[in-house]
Amino acid sequence: MLNFPKTLHPLYLFEEDTAVYAADIEKATIVELSAVMVDILKLAETRTSEEIIQTLQTSSYEEEDIFEAFERFAELEKEGLLFNRGENLKENPAIASERRKLLVAIPGIPIDSFFNIETLAAGTNMALSYMFQHLTKYVDLHFAGTRNRQLADNMYEVDISVDDFGRLSQRINETYFGILTLHRDHETWLLPLYQHTELPPILVQNHAPRGHGGEAINSMLRHYAAMRDFDAFTAPSDYVRDFYANYVWDPSFFNTLPNGVDSDLFSPMDKQKAKQELATHIGDDRILTTPTVGYLSRVQSEKGASIYLKLAELNPHLLFLIAGPNLGRYASRDLPDNLLYAGFHPREALPTVYNAFDVYCFLSMSGEETFGLTVLEAMACGVPPVVPNFDGVPSVVGDAGLIADAENFAQDIATFVSYPCPIDFSEKINLLLSDDQMRQSLSQKSRERALSFTWDKTARRIIQLFEGLHQKRQLVSPNRLLNLFAPTPPETVHDLGKMGSIQQEKQASKCQSLVLGMNEYYERCLIRDAAYPMSVEDGLALSILKNHTVREAEALLTAVVADETEAKATLKRVCGLIHATA
Amino acid sequence: MASNTDYRLNRHHKFKQGDRKYVADLETNEIIQINDVEWDILDRYGTQTHYQIVEALKEKYKSTTIFDGIARLERLGKQGQLLAQTPNSASKPNVSEQIDSKFKVLVPFSFTKEKSSVDYITHLNRYQLLTAVAQSVALETFGFSRTGKDSIQPQNVENFGKLRIRQIELEENNAFTPAWYARKGYDGILLLSQFLTDNLLYYQVPDVPIVHCIDGIQRLQSSALETLLHLHASQKASDTLVVKASWMKEWLSEFEIPEKDVCVIPDGINPVEPIGKALAKQHTAAIFDKPMFVQQPALGLISGFEPSRGAQWISTFAQANPHLAIFVYDSVLAAHYKNPPDNVVIFNADDEKMSAVLPVFFQALDLVCFPAIPGTPISVVLEAMAYGAPCIAMTKYDLPPEVSGAGVKVESDWDNSGNFHAPMDQLSGIINQLLVPSNMRAACERVAKSFTQKYTWQETARKIIQLFEKKQPSTAGPHQTGENLFPPIFCRRYNPKTREITSDAYRLGINRYEHLETALEETLVKQHKAAEVKSVFKHFKAKTPAPTAKQLHRSGTSDIGGFEELERPQTPESLIRGDVHSTTNGITTNGTAAAVADFDKSHEVLSVYE
Repeated sequence: MLNFPKTLHPLYLFEEDTAVYAADIEKATIVELSAVMVDILKLAETRTSEEIIQTLQTSSYEEEDIFEAFERFAELEKEGLLFNRGENLKENPAIASERRKLLVAIPGIPIDSFFNIETLAAGTNMALSYMFQHLTKYVDLHFAGTRNRQLADNMYEVDISVDDFGRLSQRINETYFGILTLHRDHETWLLPLYQHTELPPILVQNHAPRGHGGEAINSMLRHYAAMRDFDAFTAPSDYVRDFYANYVWDPSFFNTLPNGVDSDLFSPMDKQKAKQELATHIGDDRILTTPTVGYLSRVQSEKGASIYLKLAELNPHLLFLIAGPNLGRYASRDLPDNLLYAGFHPREALPTVYNAFDVYCFLSMSGEETFGLTVLEAMACGVPPVVPNFDGVPSVVGDAGLIADAENFAQDIATFVSYPCPIDFSEKINLLLSDDQMRQSLSQKSRERALSFTWDKTARRIIQLFEGLHQKRQLVSPNRLLNLFAPTPPETVHDLGKMGSIQQEKQASKCQSLVLGMNEYYERCLIRDAAYPMSVEDGLALSILKNHTVREAEALLTAVVADETEAKATLKRVCGLIHATA
Repeated sequence: MASNTDYRLNRHHKFKQGDRKYVADLETNEIIQINDVEWDILDRYGTQTHYQIVEALKEKYKSTTIFDGIARLERLGKQGQLLAQTPNSASKPNVSEQIDSKFKVLVPFSFTKEKSSVDYITHLNRYQLLTAVAQSVALETFGFSRTGKDSIQPQNVENFGKLRIRQIELEENNAFTPAWYARKGYDGILLLSQFLTDNLLYYQVPDVPIVHCIDGIQRLQSSALETLLHLHASQKASDTLVVKASWMKEWLSEFEIPEKDVCVIPDGINPVEPIGKALAKQHTAAIFDKPMFVQQPALGLISGFEPSRGAQWISTFAQANPHLAIFVYDSVLAAHYKNPPDNVVIFNADDEKMSAVLPVFFQALDLVCFPAIPGTPISVVLEAMAYGAPCIAMTKYDLPPEVSGAGVKVESDWDNSGNFHAPMDQLSGIINQLLVPSNMRAACERVAKSFTQKYTWQETARKIIQLFEKKQPSTAGPHQTGENLFPPIFCRRYNPKTREITSDAYRLGINRYEHLETALEETLVKQHKAAEVKSVFKHFKAKTPAPTAKQLHRSGTSDIGGFEELERPQTPESLIRGDVHSTTNGITTNGTAAAVADFDKSHEVLSVYE
């Protein structure tokens, strides 16, 4: 049996054709009610179940009918209708707040996991977790979930499914400053949402440009095509932004949003002390005496584990530590004696691990390593890194570490894309370990550089991006001009000399587009009454833009116009025409 | 016609909660938030036409806002919310009933604009056509007036008998074109004007069949042709282009306007009670002060020549046939060709008085000769023959069926620049033959005389009304049910086999890629006529060299990430540049090699089936 009192969704009761309905505005659904159900609802928020039964029995309802109504309500509650699920927030403080609100929609990652950082294995999720925390300084965050509750200060879960976003678009637009989400391949909920012009700006965080059999980039290209003029992507580094921008015409849809680092937690410690702690933890004293190279990662080949192994073999005089959840398939391998598995460490223990390293070595080659959060953490601890020369990591390191050669397979964006060169890595590591002065200088630079990557900067950048998107939104023009495609007659040769044997030239007619100077409601615009001829390419763009985005027109023009410069000019011209005649 | 929409409103209940307005759909149990304009539209939707709704609400909202509101409601309907699609058939009475009672045709005109370019006879013919059509249908035209100003009346409208005028008051800042007012309330639109911009807008009116009567055009044919090509491209399936002479249809078919899209309906003619040939010849000779019209055989040349070429041709013709008294009917040359050869008179009926004397000249003719070209007025040809004159048609097609049995043809040639050529010796020979009394001439005379009964305005009007009757919008509306539920997204796509990025279409809902051309066609068909879409595809195909079978195959074998590829139509002409692009670059990657190997494999499979 239901436990009243319960908090009701905003309801509106009305009668139509002798039936009574409750309109559940939260769920955008109506429910037909019996008379007893109506009376129960009137008491639902203030009385207990027993009190309700008592009250209703005195007003001549059969007990049987009352229980039947209770059962029906239980069913409705299960469907998420009428009643607030979860903790009964009498008045949802989330919605009542005066602050700007962002709706965070990341289906597939449990909301609670963002608040329990130890459960997060992937750097992306960890970055999100930090980012959310810092965002709350500027906005309230509402996570789309399955119930209404407060998660932390200025963070709430709200009972709204991503599947309902389209239906509730106007409501969402009134409530939220923007929607913040994460790009994932194979998602099916976000792509259709771009068709809802009422929804507030959507900012899509994009991390992995390559890999996944090409699906990562293809999904990204689909989003780029489908998104509205006032949506955008973020990329973790300039490199990634430029990588995307390379494949499209409008790079303004990609914005660099660097990660930050918690430089209070990750800070330089007494190195000897850190080495001692780690030595005790793993039971190997060589850390105290041998120069130590370290790497924090899942132990997988895409993260460069095999190369790390080769580095150990090449350098028997050095100690190579690797810390990660487990050794994976390498557990069964005969590992070189100087390669030590340092085990898994909770987040608060990581600074000690980093500090125990003399050099940090980053070898990932998956093409998904767009930022390298661990590199930044090592740098914050004053450990100079050696990283491969590809993707976004060198731009994070700057001049605070050494960049080693890597074979780049620039054309392959479907699978692994780089092979860090073991010899060059080996040389760079030895260089750094043999030159104390250099190491110390880079250590200092590392810490300084890391300090410039703050999560607060990241958070402020997000707010700034949303503000820019709101401006773009005001410029969106729904103007739809009338045009048609018509053949034009072939040119006949004016040649009187041919009189007497006129050769009817059998030339094929050409085709042109005519803009009628009207919008589709036959309202006059800039071009007045004229039928203004333009090229078929222009007309095609004009037609496509009636129901598709500028980026879709871009994809289409790329396909049909041989000269890309000409194609770009076409699109620019047509967009200008639409805006100017709006 | 009350509502004329494709949707009916579900049972619903509107309510306000706080500042917000909602409507509850009692049939689907959904609640939809609506705005003020949609709230007001719902009061009227289904009982009023879109036009009436906009008229009623335009004080309160911008008209585009009202349209957007209607559009949003109908979009909801398309998704099955709030409105339900109704087949038009349910609400429409059957066609013949409409014809009998209230078949309503709009004939918009602003002929004043055209007065300078259209001759008196063409004007007269339009008047007679409208008078005849108005006998059987309710014919209406627009009269626009500006508030606070004098009403603007269509010119000479009082002459058109039963034609009704719908007065439309325009606000000072009215931004709508006349075509907008044609959207609702009419069963057909009859267009007579040849002004492209006006006409193209009427062609945007959905679901109302248009019959467009095109007059003979005595100007540079290529510009006329351009107009006709444009009109044809913008025609809906329910629209008809009506030309007055069969050679116009033949001419248009040279430019890929299919014969089925063009209908030949000659104008009616108005022969008078004959006065006898001898008397007619005397009168003619007297009027022109040319005794040769009594003494020599009289030939009528009904001309539609491009003016300067025409003067040249007439002069050559007259010199080659000095024994003929030549009466030329030409609406342009009459005013401009000042010194024709002695045996030629040039005439044009440019007012009522002059047109009254025309039958006298026609009765004086022994033979009618005409070039079967776009400028020649067929009604003048037929009327000239109707007193019993056989004809010679100078044509590059067959003898026009209109004059079949009443004349012979002389093979001629002409082009769109106004050049015209007829073999002069042969022409003179045939003229002389036909002037001599013979059985054949007698037979031709009989047939020519029968034109009086054959080409009447009643008949012309009947055929035109029949076109409206036949072309009522189909009742089933298969275009709606057949429409794809999920829109395509045009996007780029990386192909891991070729390592190239090309363009594709991604279908929402089923979440997979499909052929770009298919998606493009689907998108274009929504807003463009079939002929337009065809010409777009033709345009791009013409620009693209046809790829080989191997390349085509490769473009169809990019299977990525578990997404199933829709089968691509392997047409020999592919619109998409990308399909061809890679080979022109001569890229020989492993991907290509693999694809070629694939192709060879599938080829083997094919040969097994063979």
